[in-house]
Parts: sequence; structure tokens; C-alpha cells
Amino acid sequence: MTALRKPLALTLVLLLILACFFAPFLWVVSNSFKPQLGIFADVTPISWRTFLPLEPVLENYRTLFERTNILRALLNTAIVSAGQVALTLVLCAMAAYALTRIRFRGAKAVFVVILLTFLLPVEAMLVPLFQVVSGLGLNNTLLGVMIPWIASPFGLFLLKQAFEELPRDLEDAARIDGAGHVRIFVSVILPNVKVPLLTLGLVTFLFSWNSFLWPLVIAQSPDIQLIQVAIAQQGSPTQLPNWGETFAGATVATLPLILLFLLLQKYFTQGMAMSGIKG
Amino acid sequence: MAQVRLAGLGKTYEGAHANTIDGLDLEVADGEFLVLVGPSGCGKSTTLRMIAGLEEPTAGEIWIGPRRVDGLEPRERDIAMVFQNYALYPHMTVAQNMSFGLRLAKVPKAEIRRRVEAAAETLGLSGYLNRHPKALSGGQRQRVAMGRAIVREPGVFLFDEPLSNLDAQLRGQMRTEIRRLHDQLSATTVYVTHDQVEAMTLADRVVVLKDGKIEQQGSPQELYDRPATRFVAGFLGSPQMNILAGRVTQGMLDLGAESRFALGAERAAPLEGRRVDVGIRPEAFRLAAPETALIHARAEMVELLGATSLVHFTHAGLPCTALLEPTEAPRPGQEVHLGLRPDRISLFDADSGRAV
Repeated sequence: MTALRKPLALTLVLLLILACFFAPFLWVVSNSFKPQLGIFADVTPISWRTFLPLEPVLENYRTLFERTNILRALLNTAIVSAGQVALTLVLCAMAAYALTRIRFRGAKAVFVVILLTFLLPVEAMLVPLFQVVSGLGLNNTLLGVMIPWIASPFGLFLLKQAFEELPRDLEDAARIDGAGHVRIFVSVILPNVKVPLLTLGLVTFLFSWNSFLWPLVIAQSPDIQLIQVAIAQQGSPTQLPNWGETFAGATVATLPLILLFLLLQKYFTQGMAMSGIKG
Repeated sequence: MAQVRLAGLGKTYEGAHANTIDGLDLEVADGEFLVLVGPSGCGKSTTLRMIAGLEEPTAGEIWIGPRRVDGLEPRERDIAMVFQNYALYPHMTVAQNMSFGLRLAKVPKAEIRRRVEAAAETLGLSGYLNRHPKALSGGQRQRVAMGRAIVREPGVFLFDEPLSNLDAQLRGQMRTEIRRLHDQLSATTVYVTHDQVEAMTLADRVVVLKDGKIEQQGSPQELYDRPATRFVAGFLGSPQMNILAGRVTQGMLDLGAESRFALGAERAAPLEGRRVDVGIRPEAFRLAAPETALIHARAEMVELLGATSLVHFTHAGLPCTALLEPTEAPRPGQEVHLGLRPDRISLFDADSGRAV
């Protein structure tokens, strides 16, 4: 009996944890199909009505797509996220290669200084970053939204770990075969760290897609607004917030992430396990 | 093919107390199979990596053929190298692994194909050209690594402990294969190993390194029969040479425990009164009648190996091993009476360890 009870108890605990994580998502999605009044009527007492739209309406989605520039915001976010992924991968991979494969004085110190920047909270860097990016003339541009984050200390750390695990003999063999640094990097190292690269790509995409504060500060023009900012700013300051529309926006914004995660979750978990970091 | 010459080669790592390689002078003749052997940390792999161009020497010169190559990139040295852990590119097929260097050198495609197929044929890899390394056994991977070296048709082959990761049976097979390949290609080869069996069976010439210096060099048999130092004597040969403490008095060599025999006037005269270490190969012992035997001991352990047997005993407080015919082997605990072949005895100065 004890042998049976243990897995059962574990399953129940896991279900409870799952419910805690899943409930807010279900609530958001459910409310996106309810009229404004229904949302507040079903909040308390908490029952299955809270989480299920009994008379679903598509009104929130219709007004979202008709009244706001959500498609433009989605496109902007996709461009920024994809760009940020590409540039982060290139920059971090090159830095990790230099720090692991090229011997130079002060390599360790450089790595430690880069890692220290990991400890600074985004909020503390906001004003200086704004000054630098504005100084570069990138204020109110999509490039300005992505550029401060492409030199990612986390990405460097993840890839440095992965590069260090590759046997040095591989590089030596390539040198004897006649390869220089660029050829070794492109043809020998990168093809053997696909999982960490995918993991970093996915983490960067999630970070970029969900970012709110920096895009809010640097991209004021409605034309280059990103999705999280667009959702938050859809009502005018004089109106009451339309929560149904907000929830519909949140649902639309989350869908691409869920799809991406489902497609790549194998690599994500593998890469995270390899780096020894928990997300 | 090419000759290799190392002149005053030195390597010191930053922060190290002693030189890893200290003024090494060595010549490898065209087509010679030279084996660098020594214990871990003796500098043999460092020497090989300096010839390959993977490490920069801190002193001296490296010549391959008529060119001085230290300071040149590995690709400019006309060498190919086989690594201990194969170092095959995991994402490439066998054919791609073998042809990578040729593709970088922009060799025409038809020529690449011809060379890869020829090497695969020689190494029995023709059926595996489209496989990835992870789908191959250890022996096959090592063959691919050799194939990658062969297709480049280099002047010098460098092997860095290539058989260490293989099991004993496969190691024996690959040893034969490497020697066959060398005879076929007549390529100048520098081979690094810590395995004295590989050194003895493969080499035209063996160089024993210790603490970054050459301890002795010569043909395998020469080193086995006439070791220049106690270190070489102990390093080559399995089971190891027995080392007993002795003293020369009145033309006799005293091995302690009342074991004395005449050394011969010519050999004994310069050593009169000196303490010496006496090196005796296990096969130099012979069973003898009790009255004529030199050593009387009790067999502590007997290993029957089929063709031979090893008898372990203690003489004058020092452990010894004798190699006897299985039919001559005593039972453990039994008294054993042994004689010696004086011509198979090496004498070393007790302090310096040099042969005397």
C-alpha cells in the first residue's frame, strides 16, 4: 500500500502546483471571451464560473483588432525579438569563443567584469542606457529597443560553459587540417553547440517578447510600439480600462511564445540542464 | 617524406619551476619510425605538439626537411597528427572528416574523392564513409583518424598515444595495423606513448624521456639489453627488471643474503669496493640445484600465464620476480633455488643510477 500511496501523493502535489501555475493563464484566456460585466461578476466567489466563459463572446477580440494597432505591435515585437536573438547569438558566441579558445592576458578579468553586469538590475541601468541609446540617435527606433540587450552576460556564460566542454583536440585537429580561427568557429565549434545556441535563442526571444519597461521608455511613437506596451496602453487615460480587451491582447501576445516553447522545449530543458542554471 | 630535426628545443610554462623540455636535440631520419616514450609529465606529448605547431617552443629550432618550421602555422608544416581521443568532428561523416583538410586546401574534388576512397580502402572503412563518428566503434574511429592523416599525404606523421583509449585486444590489432601502414607508406613517423610494449613493437628507434631530457635512445633491443640508466631499465620490460642492492668486493658481486658470485676481473676492477644497483631481467633467472644455486628463496606468489610463469619472491628484503617455464614453477610457499646468467645482468651506480 505504501508503495502505491507515494506516487499518488506525489501526483496530487504536482497537480496542485500545476493548478497554481495554470490558473492565472486560464483566467486570462477565459476572461478574454467574457463581456466586461461578466468578468467582475465571476471573480468571487471562486468557482468553475471564474475560469470558464459560459456564454463566450468574441467582442473583445473584434474591438482589439479593429480599434488598436495590435498587428503592427506584434510585427514590431517579432522584428525586435528575432533581431535580438540573431545579434545576441552572434555576439555571445564570438565572445565565448574568444574567452575560451584564444589565450590572452586578462581573459578571466574580462569574463568576471562581464558577469558582474549580470547583477545590475534593469531599473538601475535605465537612465544611463536611455542617454547612450539617444546619444546614438536610436531613440524611437526598433534597433534602439534591441541593442542594449544583445551583449548578454547570461548568453556569454551559457555558451562559454558549452564551448569549454568541447574537447580541445577538436580545435587542434582543425588547426592541423589548416583551419584558422574563423573556420574553426564556424565549421567546428558552432555545429557542436547547437543545443546551447537554441536554448540561448529561446531565452532571448522570451525575454525580448515579454519586455515592457525598456520599450516603454525608448519607443514612444505608436508606430514602433511593442506588444506588451501596446496592451498596457490600449485605453486612453480618461477611460476606464477595458479588461476584456486587455485579456484578449494578453492571450494573443502569449500564443506565439507557447507555440515556440512547445516546439523547442526539448532543447530548452537540455540546454538549461547543461548550463547548470535554472530559469 | 621528410627528416625532422630538433635543435636545443626547450619549453617552459609560465609559473613552472622547471623546464618541461630542456634543450632537446633529436633527429628523425627520413622514413624512420621513432617512438618517444616516458612516464606521464616527461614532456613527450609537449615535444610532439611543438613539432605539430600546437605549442610554441620557448627555445631552440624545429626543422622538417630543409625548412625551419617553428613559428609556422601547423598547416604550413607538412605534418598530420592522430590524437589520443581521435578528435573526429562529431557533426561530419567519415568522408567529410577525412576530406576536411583537403577541402580547406582547395584540392580539386575528384582528387579529394580519389584520396579518401584509397585511404578508406587501405583502412577497411569503405562501407562506413557516410556514417557519423558516433555510429562507429573505438577501433573504427581510430582508423578514421588515421585516414584523415593519410589523405593529406604529409611528410611527417605524428601520433599522440593513439591506442590508449582502446581495449587490450584492439590495441594489439591496431598496433599491427599501424606498423603495416608505416611499412606500406614509408612515412617518417613520430609516435608518443607511455606503453613500453607499443614502444618495443613499433619503433625503429626508441627515445626514452625523463623530466624533459633524453634518458637514452637506440633500437628497442639495445635499450632492453643495455639500459643506460636504472630508470630506463625499470621502464622497459614487463615484468619490470629486478633491482637488487649489491657491493663489489674482491672481484665478487655480493647481493646480500649470502649470495655472491664472481663478476669477472675486467668488470669488477673499476667497481672494487663500490655499492651498485644490480638489474636482473626476470628471464635471467634459471632454476638451479640447491648446492650450485645463487639465490635461495621462498616462492610467495606464482602466476601461471600458460606459456610462462612468474614466481615472486623476496631477496635481501627486496621484491623480485623470476620468469620460468610453467613446468619449473614451484608451488606458493615452496623453496626455490635460482641461478643467474651473468651476461644478462646490468650494473648501475647506486647514487647516480647510471650504468657502470
